[in-house]
Amino acid sequence: MTKANQTGAIELENLHLSLDSDAGQVDILRGINLTINRGETVGLVGPSGSGKTSLLMIVSGLERATSGSITVAGQNITQANEDALALFRRQHTGIVFQNFHLVPTMTALENVALPLEFAGKSHAFDAARDQLKAVGLDHRIEHYPGQLSGGEQQRVALARAFVTEPTLLLADEPTGNLDGKTGDHIMDLLFDLHSRKGTTLLLITHAPALAQRCERLLNMSDGHIISDELTA
Amino acid sequence: MNNFSLAWRIAKCELRSGIKGFRVFLICLALGVGAIAAVGSLSRAVTQGLLADARFLLGGDVSVRMQHRPIEGEQLNLLKSRASKVSSVTEMKAMAQTPNNRALVELKGIDQHYPLVGTVTMLPSGPLQDRLVFKDGAWGAVVEQGLLAKLNIKVGDRVRVGEAFFQIRAILIKEPDRVASVLNFGPRFMVSAQALPHTKLIQLGSQIRYYERILLPTKTTASDFIKNLGQHFPEAGWRVRGPDKAAPGLQRFVRRLSLFLTFAGLTALLVGGIGVLGATRSYLQSKTSTIATLKCIGAPGGLVFNAYFLQILILSFIGIMVGIVMGALLPFLGVALVHNQLPIAPIAGIYPLALLKAAVFGMLTSATFVLWPLAQARETPAGNLFRTNVMPLSLWPRWIYIGFIFSGVLSLGALVIFWSQERNFAYWFVVVSLVTVVLLRLGAVAIMQFAQRVPRPQNAIFRLVLANLYRPGTSTPSIVLAMGVGLSVLIAVALIQGNISRQVEETIPEQAPAFFFIDIQPDQVTAFDKALKAIPGAHDLMRMPSMRGRIVKINGVPVDQVDIKPNVKWAVNGDRALTYAKSPAKGTEIVAGKWWNENYQGPPLISFDARVADGFGVGVGDTLTLNVLGRDITATIGSLRRIDWRTLRFDFAIIFAPGTLEQAPQTHIAAIKADAVAEPRIENSIAKMFANISTIRVKDALVAAGKIIKGVGAAVTATASLTVIAGIIVLAGTIATARAQRVYDSVVFKVLGATRRQIITAFLWEFGLLGLFTGIVGALVGTFISWAVIKHIMAMNWVFLPNQVIMTILSAALFTTLIGFLGTWRALGEKSSKHLSNE
Repeated sequence: MTKANQTGAIELENLHLSLDSDAGQVDILRGINLTINRGETVGLVGPSGSGKTSLLMIVSGLERATSGSITVAGQNITQANEDALALFRRQHTGIVFQNFHLVPTMTALENVALPLEFAGKSHAFDAARDQLKAVGLDHRIEHYPGQLSGGEQQRVALARAFVTEPTLLLADEPTGNLDGKTGDHIMDLLFDLHSRKGTTLLLITHAPALAQRCERLLNMSDGHIISDELTA
Repeated sequence: MNNFSLAWRIAKCELRSGIKGFRVFLICLALGVGAIAAVGSLSRAVTQGLLADARFLLGGDVSVRMQHRPIEGEQLNLLKSRASKVSSVTEMKAMAQTPNNRALVELKGIDQHYPLVGTVTMLPSGPLQDRLVFKDGAWGAVVEQGLLAKLNIKVGDRVRVGEAFFQIRAILIKEPDRVASVLNFGPRFMVSAQALPHTKLIQLGSQIRYYERILLPTKTTASDFIKNLGQHFPEAGWRVRGPDKAAPGLQRFVRRLSLFLTFAGLTALLVGGIGVLGATRSYLQSKTSTIATLKCIGAPGGLVFNAYFLQILILSFIGIMVGIVMGALLPFLGVALVHNQLPIAPIAGIYPLALLKAAVFGMLTSATFVLWPLAQARETPAGNLFRTNVMPLSLWPRWIYIGFIFSGVLSLGALVIFWSQERNFAYWFVVVSLVTVVLLRLGAVAIMQFAQRVPRPQNAIFRLVLANLYRPGTSTPSIVLAMGVGLSVLIAVALIQGNISRQVEETIPEQAPAFFFIDIQPDQVTAFDKALKAIPGAHDLMRMPSMRGRIVKINGVPVDQVDIKPNVKWAVNGDRALTYAKSPAKGTEIVAGKWWNENYQGPPLISFDARVADGFGVGVGDTLTLNVLGRDITATIGSLRRIDWRTLRFDFAIIFAPGTLEQAPQTHIAAIKADAVAEPRIENSIAKMFANISTIRVKDALVAAGKIIKGVGAAVTATASLTVIAGIIVLAGTIATARAQRVYDSVVFKVLGATRRQIITAFLWEFGLLGLFTGIVGALVGTFISWAVIKHIMAMNWVFLPNQVIMTILSAALFTTLIGFLGTWRALGEKSSKHLSNE
């Protein structure tokens, strides 16, 4: 992993992602060039299959690009190995998914403390407790995910994403599985945490209203960014 | 459509997706059923082989044996009048000597009709009788190869037995009536009956067995013949055997061995049952959405239960059939591989009863173990079924299902006991199995409690590891139970065998004499005593007169009308050694009554073995009537002694007070302890001075006994290993069914910044600790079982043997880690994006 220039939180150059399938090669991303500045909130919209989630996976180091260069938080992760990517995620990113992806056999507190524990932080549980309090779940810390509602589970996921104080927060349709009111509440929480911590936010969403809450809006189609504009 | 048809249709639909999730289920059942079927079939093959060889083993249709005196007069006349042909055989122990070497042999004198059935195989081959005639100044002898090696001689050389010289004329390859005995004291030395008197070993009171082998006319059955003999001479004191008791010792040995092997098979099936339970539970969990959907659209719990119970029954049937086929075929292979090493030729075949029993055990086990998760699924509300990861099927089933499960367990236990030929052992097996399962379940709870209560480690990996041991849906209970049963059995078998071997190899030699001497004639005793006492290093000489007598009445009632406990029946089966003494031998432990005065000269009085007395239901003041050389003597029990025969202490079950047996024909037997350096001198000196006295080296007997214990131990351990294999399969199955969860966990861990090393370390520690804890629990349970068996069933001193236990614990930890690792390492290679996408 090499140091790049310090200007952008995310810098992608001529990024390609192709996957082999039974039907032949499928081009998911076709030459993405993108820079997202530190502290910026960016909404990523587009139809299903346009490559939004793949882009997020590559930015988080969970998927390898076929070609191109990826620099995130000043680190070029294009050629980084699995362990270096794990370290990178631990230090710089927080991720929130539509399906929450909590560890079902761990309590809310254990789920939130987990990334800090992987990082070997001794204050993992204290920090996790604080973060759960911040998302209003201090009374549910010993509950397992299955004992929590969808909104509560997503709040746990948010707490877990923020507990490491990441420089970059990646969110993949975080309200997709929630009703409107709960979804609004989660988004308020997300933007509140962003504004308090100054985190860069890349948000994938199908909801135009949500996208409009971001400072910048990217529109993807068929593996390309077809528009990049500032919101009002 | 009625409930059953609908259930059947649902079951068929569900089975369309194949049996992929049921591999462990099928293997577990097939393995357990296969083991029981194979052991049962093999046991039947050996029994059938014994029956088929019965005439060879008996040496005729019926064999009549008398000890100490030949069958003569009216008795012999009757035998000859009812038989189509009779052959006389005489057997005894004797010393064969060359100028430089000597060896204890099993001397056999045969008449001209021997063998009535079968043929004797020799090298070089030729007519047997021709080999045994007196020629070139010596009688002929045909001997086993082992003797040639022991005496360092070859065919053609001469050997002295008693006062006679024999020339070795051929090597005995196969003797049709030689039954493999548990303890053989020496190689066969076959001579002509005419040669025997020249040895001067045929003395009154010598330890000689006289046989009359009988061929019956075609219209006479062996049982009729035996019955007729009993009616004519009810108190003859002979032992008459027909085809059903051709080799009672071997039959008993085979019965016991197959019993223990069946127990090992049943234990494997028990472990298989745990696998069946786990597989059913995980299958039902994988079917939660289907079950929930069925319930949501109005399916009653009973319908759901029936549909899945039918599926399990069909799958059980498949597993059992695979096991039955394996169990039916394996004995053919086994017999083909080992038939040369067995004393009889087993008849491999399809034995339907043995297979049916295994199938019944399999079906009952399967039905009993699957009921719990099925009944839970029946009761669980549809909503809960959607949250099985944190709310595993945990409701209590209805009482009726608990009743069925209880009945299943009871039926299994009852069948084990009912179908066993040794119900006492079977009863203990059932009790020990139940206790083991309960102890292991408690052990699993203890492990989970420990993991939950131990202070939370600083290291996240260790915290994760410990947490995984007690979390909802953890595999700790099933792994502890499945692996624990196998480990408990292995450790119990190892400790029991180790303790018995220790008794034979260490404890007994400390207490036992170095030599026993038999057939010492009364006129030789002074010289014999003098010769032994003159040898430095020889000490504690004990010599006693010995004669044989048969217990014919207990308190005046014929023995066949007395209810005698099975464990002491041996005491009334034929002649027993008797002696007389003025004073008790050193170390005698009198537990009731008192020893007589040294100058006692009253009516016959005896001191009796306390354990046999208990089996007879008699005590001090009661009477025993003994037939000694045809004369009935009724003696009063004056005292009871506790005798531990296992120490090979020189003792007699019945000792007469002075004044009764002194004039009866008798020989003496003796025992002596000796330092190791004195042993060769004792052997040489007695052999040179007294050609008729047979010397039995205790060490040789102990080595032979030790070999048998090790052989039996190896057979039981090999079968018990099946239990461990079953445990490993269950372990692998448990890990495989949790694989999806592991993959998911590792993906989420990666998202949260965990390195591959951290994830691997967590998995390795989790399985290593689980294996270690399981090993410790298994060791505790196995040690407890071995203690209970050695101390309370075998009434021996129990010693903890740590090496085996530590090795087993470490192996368990290693194996569990290895299998856990193999089952989960691929989880690390899974692409994260596949599991994280929103679809």
